[in-house]
Amino acid sequence: MDKQVEMAVAPPPELMRDVVIDAIYAAAQKDRDIFFVSADLGAKALDEFREKLPQQFIHVGICEQNMVDLASGLALSGKKVFLYAMAPFITARCYEQVKCVISSMNLPVTLIAVGVGLGYDHATLTHFTPEDIAIMRALNGIEVLSPSDGESAAAIAKLAIEQPAFRYLRLERQAQHAVYQGDFEGQLSAGVSHVAPGKDVAIVACGYMLHKALAARELLQRDYGIAAGVVDLFRVKPVNGQRLAEILSGYDSVLTVEEQLLEGGMGSAVAEALIDGGHPMKQKRMGLRDGFEVVNGNRDQLHQIYGIDTPDIVMTAVDLVGG
Amino acid sequence: MSVNNLKEKARWLRQELFEMVIRQRAGHLPSSYSMTEILVQLYYGGTVRYSEGHPDDPNRDRVIVSKGHAAMALYPILADLGYFPADELEHFTERGHLLGMYADVRIPGIEGISGSLGHGIGMGAGFAFAGRYDGMEYRTFVIVGDGECYEGSIWESAMFAAHHKLENLIAIVDRNSLCILGETEDLMALGDLEAKWRSFGWHTVAAEGHDFDSLREAFELIGKTDGKPLAIIADTVKGKGVSFMEGRAEWHNRMPSDEQIVTARQELAHG
Repeated sequence: MDKQVEMAVAPPPELMRDVVIDAIYAAAQKDRDIFFVSADLGAKALDEFREKLPQQFIHVGICEQNMVDLASGLALSGKKVFLYAMAPFITARCYEQVKCVISSMNLPVTLIAVGVGLGYDHATLTHFTPEDIAIMRALNGIEVLSPSDGESAAAIAKLAIEQPAFRYLRLERQAQHAVYQGDFEGQLSAGVSHVAPGKDVAIVACGYMLHKALAARELLQRDYGIAAGVVDLFRVKPVNGQRLAEILSGYDSVLTVEEQLLEGGMGSAVAEALIDGGHPMKQKRMGLRDGFEVVNGNRDQLHQIYGIDTPDIVMTAVDLVGG
Repeated sequence: MSVNNLKEKARWLRQELFEMVIRQRAGHLPSSYSMTEILVQLYYGGTVRYSEGHPDDPNRDRVIVSKGHAAMALYPILADLGYFPADELEHFTERGHLLGMYADVRIPGIEGISGSLGHGIGMGAGFAFAGRYDGMEYRTFVIVGDGECYEGSIWESAMFAAHHKLENLIAIVDRNSLCILGETEDLMALGDLEAKWRSFGWHTVAAEGHDFDSLREAFELIGKTDGKPLAIIADTVKGKGVSFMEGRAEWHNRMPSDEQIVTARQELAHG
């Protein structure tokens, strides 16, 4: 490639998995008690880990059940364990194991999922996780974290390394543009970030859908004169209900947007937190509806079909504000 | 300990378990009785290394009763080792007390939670892998039910242990041939379990599960398996020691009548 052209092209954002694995690898070089276990999922960053620290990398085969049971024995032996697999297979596929041996003993095991929601778009339903927020946040004692860009993924990885606990990390399969500009880590403990101000409606999202919420905000302002704010609920469990209510107190209504079935998803978590905290407000939830049809298409096309794409968010917000 | 003394320990353990269960009318006697001699050999026959009164000794061998409904069979032994006060046995399953129907890690001497089947081999593989990694000498013993071998997770873990040459991992399969609804071979055949474990890369040996000489002989293979994990297929009788329970699937968690209690106590006393 011509050197001038090369310099003109912005470097592509890093994959979340590479960011997270790089952080774990750096820590594992200094801490021999860190183990990284993969159920046959790779990453560019993992190649060096496997080569340089083969004793701390375990390939368990395509055996998610054993992966989790094994992790319990390692954790009970004082190891800090990171499990890594495609999102559907580290959640529903081994849910029994996560519930019975990790959750029940509250072990410091981090589950790292790649490709949450509709991330594996062309692979369709078996690779979707339209329910991972609902089922994983139902586990006793778990913390559920959903980064939206490389910076938030790196800070969340740092937390998982420095304060080992029972956590579920929801990583996007594709690289995501930056949402944060060096300001995420300071907000990590709050669990929620007010990423863009507004007044009429607050759009609450996390992960991939946070980007659509930000795009919808621009259109709402430009085309409708609606002042929408955007809230990143990156810690879906436990929800910081107090901080969320504080943020939302500056709005007339709240719109939650997710790539999950509505039953028990992030929108439910927001509603629960507002009700339990005594701050009920006008709310609308957008997400996958029960009975959604599985079809071929890329992620954005699927969003159009399922009515959760940026224009759908805009129109729903307009209705919500006008209604 | 001599075989006669071990037999006496087995009689004691069955009696203790019987009173624990009858007192609360909760628990699983037949599943515990099929593995009574196995536990006695492990803890009193010199197989398992432990230090009395010190359940957290880092060098202790790890024992997991993966067929969790029978993990209660460990309780009298763990109390006897001084891991917790023996009077806890009288409060089995009671609110505010230590010992539950299924074991968990809050109980000194219990290495991991059990109850749901199919987790123990993987958990044990984790202990064994970590132990070897840390240069520890301890071994990990996992007692699995034969009915538990229906669970696919067992075989995922068996494959893992063989691949990683975890010769410090020992599985004892309690082959009592019964599950809740009847005979395993009638309901869904498990077939030749020894051949199955062998084909998964384990060193295997068959043993008479109620015969101390046979069990001891099998355990003597530990460390002599050419890098393979060891699976002992122990032929046992569910409900062993109480005539009306022996080999009878319907006694899995049934409680005896007053008359049957008298009969059982007499039989257990003569062990």
